[in-house]
Amino acid sequence: MSIRREDVLHVARLAALDVAEEDLPRLVEQMGRIVEFVAQLEEVPAGDSAPPFVAGPAQVTLRADEIVPSGLVRPPVAFAPEFTKGFFSVPKLGAMEGAE
Amino acid sequence: MSGVGMIAEAVSSGLTTAASVAREVGGRLTGAMPLNATLHWSQALLDRQAAALDALSPAERVTRPLAGVPIALKDNMVTTDEPTTCASKILEGYVSPYDATVVSRLRAAGAILASKTNLDEFAMGSSTEHSAYGRVHHPLDAARVPGGSSGGSAALVAAGVVPAALGSETGGSVRQPASFCGIVGVKPTYGRVSRYGLVAFGSSLDQISVFGRKVDDAARVLAAISGHDAHDSTSAPLPPLALEPARHELTSFTFGMPREYFPADLHGGVRAALDRTAHALQQLGATIKEVSLPHARFAVPTYYIVAPAEAAANLARFDGVRYGPRHVGPEGDVQALYRATRGHGFGPEVRRRILIGTYVLSSGYYDAYYRKAQQTRALLAEDFRKVFVEQQVDFLLTPTTPTPAFKAGEKMEDPVAMYLADIFTCSINLAGLPALSLPVGRGEGLPIGAQLVGPMFSEARMLAVASAIEAVVDAVGEVR
Amino acid sequence: MQWETVVGLEVHVQLLTRSKMFCGCANRFGDPPNTLVCPVCLGLPGALPMPNAQAITLATRASLALGCSVHPISVFARKNYFYPDLPKGYQISQFDQPLATGGGVTIESPERGRITIGVTRLHVEEDAGKSLHDRLPGRTAIDLNRAGTPLAEIVSEPDMRSPGEARAYLTVLKQLLLYCEISDGNMEEGSLRVDANISIRRPGETHLGTKTEVKNMNSFANVERALIVERDRQIRTVENGERVRQVTLLFNAASGEVRPMRSKEESHDYRYFPDPDLPPLVLSRLWIEQQHAALPELPAAKQERFMSVLGLPPYDAGVLAADRAVADYFEAVVAQGVEPKTASNWVINDAIRACNETGRFPVAPERLAALIVLVKAGTISNQAGKRIFTELDQTDETPAVIAERLGLLQVGDADALGGWVDEVLAANPKELARYRGGETKLIGFFTGQVMKQSGGKADPKKIGAVLLAKLK
Repeated sequence: MSIRREDVLHVARLAALDVAEEDLPRLVEQMGRIVEFVAQLEEVPAGDSAPPFVAGPAQVTLRADEIVPSGLVRPPVAFAPEFTKGFFSVPKLGAMEGAE
Repeated sequence: MSGVGMIAEAVSSGLTTAASVAREVGGRLTGAMPLNATLHWSQALLDRQAAALDALSPAERVTRPLAGVPIALKDNMVTTDEPTTCASKILEGYVSPYDATVVSRLRAAGAILASKTNLDEFAMGSSTEHSAYGRVHHPLDAARVPGGSSGGSAALVAAGVVPAALGSETGGSVRQPASFCGIVGVKPTYGRVSRYGLVAFGSSLDQISVFGRKVDDAARVLAAISGHDAHDSTSAPLPPLALEPARHELTSFTFGMPREYFPADLHGGVRAALDRTAHALQQLGATIKEVSLPHARFAVPTYYIVAPAEAAANLARFDGVRYGPRHVGPEGDVQALYRATRGHGFGPEVRRRILIGTYVLSSGYYDAYYRKAQQTRALLAEDFRKVFVEQQVDFLLTPTTPTPAFKAGEKMEDPVAMYLADIFTCSINLAGLPALSLPVGRGEGLPIGAQLVGPMFSEARMLAVASAIEAVVDAVGEVR
Repeated sequence: MQWETVVGLEVHVQLLTRSKMFCGCANRFGDPPNTLVCPVCLGLPGALPMPNAQAITLATRASLALGCSVHPISVFARKNYFYPDLPKGYQISQFDQPLATGGGVTIESPERGRITIGVTRLHVEEDAGKSLHDRLPGRTAIDLNRAGTPLAEIVSEPDMRSPGEARAYLTVLKQLLLYCEISDGNMEEGSLRVDANISIRRPGETHLGTKTEVKNMNSFANVERALIVERDRQIRTVENGERVRQVTLLFNAASGEVRPMRSKEESHDYRYFPDPDLPPLVLSRLWIEQQHAALPELPAAKQERFMSVLGLPPYDAGVLAADRAVADYFEAVVAQGVEPKTASNWVINDAIRACNETGRFPVAPERLAALIVLVKAGTISNQAGKRIFTELDQTDETPAVIAERLGLLQVGDADALGGWVDEVLAANPKELARYRGGETKLIGFFTGQVMKQSGGKADPKKIGAVLLAKLK
């Protein structure tokens, strides 16, 4: 399964990443090699099986439903790139407007 | 420079002051500037932490197990008093409004947070060359890499600037640089140390890990930062690690040497150093046997699916909306803001991994890559379980890395070659097991590390065993 | 030409917890923007989610109330998409292993009578924040107070065949959620949000037509309106020989129109995968059974019992069972020994009306029961009873004391009644003559006059005997 230019552009769009035109050929080539490399997993013998692996505890611990202080030593205005009248401010949503 | 235990003893007994430790550390940090291992530190902040410690009553000081111990911190753990950049332009100038759990625990233990250290951007890399703030130099040979991604922390410990430092592991990012730099690197069991406040890379693999000059340095710091944390769902419900006394003989122990970790083309010096270590273990009374981890060759490809997939989602939050610098695209709408902010902010390796991670999760490819990788991951974990449980092996002994430290630039153009630097370490992260690397000799002047791998939550015994090896193996002698 | 409408609904329900789904921030509506936030719900670097036990409990109860199987193991998954009010760039949801599946809700269809609508699944997830387009000139304002609010998403089967059925389903669903105290169901505040999938086909066809998704409806009435509009649009489209395109539409309540969303046509690829920050959610069978046992009696069962055990007519039973507070109030009145149908009349005619006006039950059930007893015993008239009902809210006096104070006690004493009868007969000689001439139906007229003469105090049941004696 080789990687095409359109594949890179498609995932770049999904990942909201600008990719410069001049970087594209190299990215296509490098991603192609990586994908070819990880495709080795096709060689894992089909008969091999093991119980599903869960990193960490086998089950999640639930938190009691209690309100606790935020733990913020500084409010959002201290770290936001643009914060106006209590809101994070961004440009208009353009084509996303009205989406979920 | 003294070790963790001696400094803590001296400061808590009043033999020396935290202020004098802080001044000395500041001097050494200044001297180590050519390594480019630190991203943020200031004498003022060192002095302020020291003054707070010195203001404690002697009775209070003795309750601090790391009183006055300077510890460096990889710059992907958030701190309220210094920036946290992950060596990325996308977090340039960001100062966290909360402390990571490990940071709170180090502060409570009386440690002095000495410096935030350089890393591969977002911990993605094996050489600390992928930093937006320049590469870190190997302390013994400036033309070589210190390993990565926790290369800054490793270099500071190896250069004697601090006795211990925190790094983070996703696929070997502490053990590999520990091996390259000739120091000790301990990667605990997944869940042993809270990840709260560690900027996530591959969440199911990430684990905060410790560098020490000696096994004891790393062990004491690990004890201070470990234990359950109610802020991390993946944190194990266990108390802090209780250390065991060092061992002087290992008669009841069986060590397994997996044949897959000793390929025919293994670097000669590495092979010789491991042979010498195995011999030393036998001298201590241990039994050595060859074992097999049949799926080992699939570890790196599995890792390079799981880690980028998780990373692609973990790095989605860096969007220029709530924090970090913002770039505005020509279209002027919010999507353009995302694309430009992320396009400018992430370096080439991070971009590659985000794209790969997005690709393997995307519609039509999920089963072939991500699902397959999860299945293989279970097989890898099962391989280890069989060796530890069915074959009753206490610990595995393997090389940490296939070669000593390589030259800067050598693998920058070939991502796959760089990924193979993790070949002996990343399966341990995939299985969630504890492991450590300790120096067992040098080849042509460059340090070589041996790796111990144990079953889940076997750190205390593993550290005791490592101390026994440390006592008998010449860590800086040439091997042949 | 005949068309069959097929509707399926996805309902997002905010759960009534104190704190958010994955952090300890307050789950509250109406605070100043970005004040109920912390590292977790801001999506700050390094923050990690910790799930809320009460949210899981409420979602489990909702699942059980909807007749779903709750799974011993379910898995949180990341749903990846970029949106400025989605702090992490992904939403923590559940995907291929949801909390519960396979339930159903019985509704009264306006067209088909009693039917069951399948519930495909219920899963737990976190809400996004809010994007506000009218707060900052030329900018979009982001408020993350809502980010991380616990949600249950309830997905129905495409089992509804008309906009009216969709509305009936939602009414029953909301009733269940309120009954089990899972949500406040407030659509204006967004506690309950509905997305509808609708398609049309020929009657008898088994495959589904191309569906559209309709969003942005802030009341059940608007869901019905929007679905009517969209159904008619689809029928016109197909009858014009065109194809229905799969789009997402927004309903505009003011214009009564649906319009396609401006989002790009690019199909969504959410790249779901299990959230590595959260181990599987494991619930023991015992715990699930306990949650089942702890469910209140549900509206349908309650209505049935009111009919079969208390002998109420279906209408009364339905009205009383529709609201848990009303039903509880009614049962408290009956518990005082009041005959159920009488209690039902008072609750439906007086208590519910008062409750609708004041938002509460102004008269404690014991006091209403005492009042009903006075009326039943003839101590006061029904009319006086209604008047005393309104008084009961103003004072702590017993109904009897109020009746006395207001002079509303009925007079049954033969002498007093005789006096009023004499006065009435004296004042109406013509009618008296007609009665004695055979027009016996005038007895009603005289009774009314006696009531009037007594100022309403005469006991109507006792007037008759006295009148008849005097008329002879």
